[in-house]
Amino acid sequence: MNHRTKRKIGVCAILLAGAFVLLQTVRAQQQPQAPVVAAPTAKVQLPTHPPAPGDGKSLVVQLCDGETSLTVAGMKPGDRLSPAQAQQVSDELMAQWLAKTDPETAAAWVREEKTARKAAAAPQKPAAAKAGATQTEQPNDFSDRDFSTWKREVEREVTYGNQIFHDDKLLGSTNGVSCAMCHPNAANTHPETYPKFQIQLRRVALLRDMINWCIENPSRGKKLDADDPKMRALEAYIMAQRKGVAMEYGKH
Amino acid sequence: MIPLKWGKRRETYLTEREQWLKELMDSGQTWQGRRKFLQMAALAAGAAAVKEFVPHSFQLVEVVQAAEPAAAAERPFTFAYISDSHLYEKTLNERFVRQLIRAVNDINALDPQPDFVLYGGDLAQLGQPGELNLGAEILKEIKAPVKMMVGEHDWFLDMGDLWKAKFGPPYYSFDHKGIHFVTLMSVNEKDFWTSKGLTPMQRMQIVSGLDDGRQSAFEVGEEEREWLARDLAKVPKTTPLVVFSHSPLYKLYRNWNFWTDDAEEIQALLRPFKTVTVIHGHTHQVLTNRIGNIHFHGMLSTAWPWPYAPQGLPKLTVQMNRPDPFNQTEGMGDGTITVNPSGHVDKEYLMWNRNPLKVSEKYLDSNGNLDRPAKTTLPGY
Amino acid sequence: MKHSSVKITLPNQGKRRSQLFLLALVAGLAGWLTISGTPPRHSVQAAEGYQIQIPKGLPADVWAELIPKDNPMSAAKVALGEKLYFDKRLSVDRTVSCATCHDPATALADSNAVGVGISNKKGARNSPTVLNSMFNELQFWDGRAPSLEEQAKLPLINPIEMGMKDHGAVVARVQEAAEYKAMFKAAFGSEAVTIDTIAKAIAAFERTQLSGDAPFDRFIAGDTNAISEAAKRGWDLFNGQARCISCHAWNPSQPFFSDFKFHNIGVAAKDQNFSKLARRAQQLMVQGKDKTQVTDELALAEGFSELGRYLVTGQPRDIGTFKTSMLRDIELTAPYMHNGSEKTLLDVIKFYDKGGEVNPNLDGGMRPLKLTDPQMNDLVEFLKTLTSDATRRRVETTKAQTRQPAP
Repeated sequence: MNHRTKRKIGVCAILLAGAFVLLQTVRAQQQPQAPVVAAPTAKVQLPTHPPAPGDGKSLVVQLCDGETSLTVAGMKPGDRLSPAQAQQVSDELMAQWLAKTDPETAAAWVREEKTARKAAAAPQKPAAAKAGATQTEQPNDFSDRDFSTWKREVEREVTYGNQIFHDDKLLGSTNGVSCAMCHPNAANTHPETYPKFQIQLRRVALLRDMINWCIENPSRGKKLDADDPKMRALEAYIMAQRKGVAMEYGKH
Repeated sequence: MIPLKWGKRRETYLTEREQWLKELMDSGQTWQGRRKFLQMAALAAGAAAVKEFVPHSFQLVEVVQAAEPAAAAERPFTFAYISDSHLYEKTLNERFVRQLIRAVNDINALDPQPDFVLYGGDLAQLGQPGELNLGAEILKEIKAPVKMMVGEHDWFLDMGDLWKAKFGPPYYSFDHKGIHFVTLMSVNEKDFWTSKGLTPMQRMQIVSGLDDGRQSAFEVGEEEREWLARDLAKVPKTTPLVVFSHSPLYKLYRNWNFWTDDAEEIQALLRPFKTVTVIHGHTHQVLTNRIGNIHFHGMLSTAWPWPYAPQGLPKLTVQMNRPDPFNQTEGMGDGTITVNPSGHVDKEYLMWNRNPLKVSEKYLDSNGNLDRPAKTTLPGY
Repeated sequence: MKHSSVKITLPNQGKRRSQLFLLALVAGLAGWLTISGTPPRHSVQAAEGYQIQIPKGLPADVWAELIPKDNPMSAAKVALGEKLYFDKRLSVDRTVSCATCHDPATALADSNAVGVGISNKKGARNSPTVLNSMFNELQFWDGRAPSLEEQAKLPLINPIEMGMKDHGAVVARVQEAAEYKAMFKAAFGSEAVTIDTIAKAIAAFERTQLSGDAPFDRFIAGDTNAISEAAKRGWDLFNGQARCISCHAWNPSQPFFSDFKFHNIGVAAKDQNFSKLARRAQQLMVQGKDKTQVTDELALAEGFSELGRYLVTGQPRDIGTFKTSMLRDIELTAPYMHNGSEKTLLDVIKFYDKGGEVNPNLDGGMRPLKLTDPQMNDLVEFLKTLTSDATRRRVETTKAQTRQPAP
């Protein structure tokens, strides 16, 4: 596996055990060594980050760079932000981060936001079967009705994912933080780079591991089973936003 | 099913069919099903319906006939094939057993019957006695004479000892109705196991992995090429040749051994002949190629279809529609080969749950301009 | 880790906040409306202001999509279609209507193994239910009619069903009945009767014959108590070991438990000659004789009707295949299979359990299932949850059709 040493950023939501949103920028300079042992089957205790200092009386929200945070006046730790408040806090944190980070990294972030894809989940339609196919083509079983059903069903899944992605309550967030606040249009979720060694997790992560990470940490919800309908829908929505992007597992 | 004729009352028929299959499946480590089966079959269908299976019996008869002047007037004639059954020990995989039986039933029901039936190799999955014996047991029920060819799955456990003991030499030739037929053993591999200290089973398992890069490339090998040169030296260049090989005698895709390493040398031996057809197994799919005067046709498997190779697919190949994995027999089957007066053949793929697909001599002769096989309508993945 | 912290104050009633709230609300609503695929209301407005209640569990949007552009729904047309559907005068001896074999008293199906037409003549196929039939991709067991309109035309002139000489004779019968004049005028804007308007009216009526809101639909909607534990085990088996879902497909867009495809499961192979028959037919096809002619010859020959869809397409792959039947209200529509050869649901499950009947064109999805007796019972319990409450009530309260000749 060739790894370009060019600096790349991965913006990852990271755990914070308190009432904090945490966003952290990681610069990967070297290809991490893939573990030579089989993936552990037992559940691993994941690393935590120390909470940002606060006065203990106000709600502190922290970006995943582990450095940027802000105190929300008039709200106590454990208070739930409304969607609009959470969005505002999120915007404010990102603005602070963009202002102080190096121009190249900031530009990369903005670029990725801009290229976020719109949902385009229609399955590629194979050559339609013609009624009474002649001997000149091999008959297959699929009709226009099938294509429309497939499209309808896959869009249903993506739409449900879209809804969860944008709705903190459906997600099970306890602090009002939804996925879309940091990832509008699922920007910077880069599902095409999984599986990859996730430095913050110290192990190989799948997209669903990162979804759960975000649910447990910035959103302070309960993580979802791999086959939970909500997990399936979230994966569907995120992947749908990246239609046409080349698969690049292991990329940092 | 095999042992019984249609016409019995349904319940009796069903009971006996299931009982026969159960015997086939349940008989112990030592193979005893045969005798019981014979008794039952004799009971049900009359002793005359059961014939002993003599390896290459047809071949020996035909060698004598070869001395007689063969006429193109005896053509067209048809032979059938069954290939790549990959039988496991009977207790391990009932499905592959049922599918081979289905193919035998298909061929036995052909009317008129084919002149003979080619078995295209890979009868066994891991070359084990239980697998080869089981296969022989089922192939005994083919009504037409059977021509056996060996595949790598039959060979690399004991380097062909059991297969040869059961079915005879792995390469041979014979003449039939003016055609010179050659069966090759094309799946020899250069020794990759001794230096690694592999056990026979380890060697077999490596070879049985299509994408296992630890094995060597298939080849006919020098000794057999010399035999082939001597064999062909006796044959007039105007006599049409039909060559059977397990691997395709051209280079398609090395990673899966859709390949014969000394293909060029073999092709050079065949090129002086006016009309040559190569029928091969191993690829488990509809596969068509032409190199000069040589027409190539793949055979279907009774066990599973392979996907098309990601590169190197011959231009003349019209792909069979991608099989449905939820249909356990789709993309599989057997087939017939009609040898035309010219000596070239029309190849008919008899695919289960699908329409038959014909790849004609005319299509190949016209370089794909005429009589194009039914168009593929699903994208391959 | 070094922290830098900034303190902000969130405005309590700021303009920006309320804007954001409104935005979120709109986005949320839009999400809700599109999420379910079917809008949360179940009353659908079709063309000409026609209103229909779509039962819970059926896809209202698909229903609307499947109304043909050249045959929009209207109350007048449905009323006309209903009258024609029950009118025995449409058969040669005035004893058989559509409803004779598709009787509301038997869930718009028939309790006979095969359809029985005029003068007790027996057909070869079991009468399927008209309920939800508008969702079929193709009509008849072998799919030989592309629409309900085309389907409706054929039994009228089939010699063993309704026995009319030709469509002209059918039109004449309808013209004789004075009460139809106004109804045709209301439905089609003209008193003129044609076979096409007759078929359109009957089809429009059939498109109102829907069945849903079964216990299973309430279970899927989230009511975990709507079906028994045995039925839940049955639903798991249906999706798993029993492999039913492979063909009896269920999804919210097509919640009818059918893939609307054609499969050979070997029902016809119970006749021992089937194998020979199929091979004979296959040879005829392979030999390249004129397809239509061969199909015609075979369709008239006894036994060949068992070749199923093959008679329609002439494609070897279709030998012995029949359409996957829908499973809603299946408890009410015994007997089963295309020829009514299985009497009970348990019989059907036993047939599948042994892997169907081996024959040269047996579908590759068929294999022995190794179900236990309790598992088979669980499957039956599950199938019973597909019965619509309304349809069950309708069956219980409707008198069976009679064969008393109409005046």
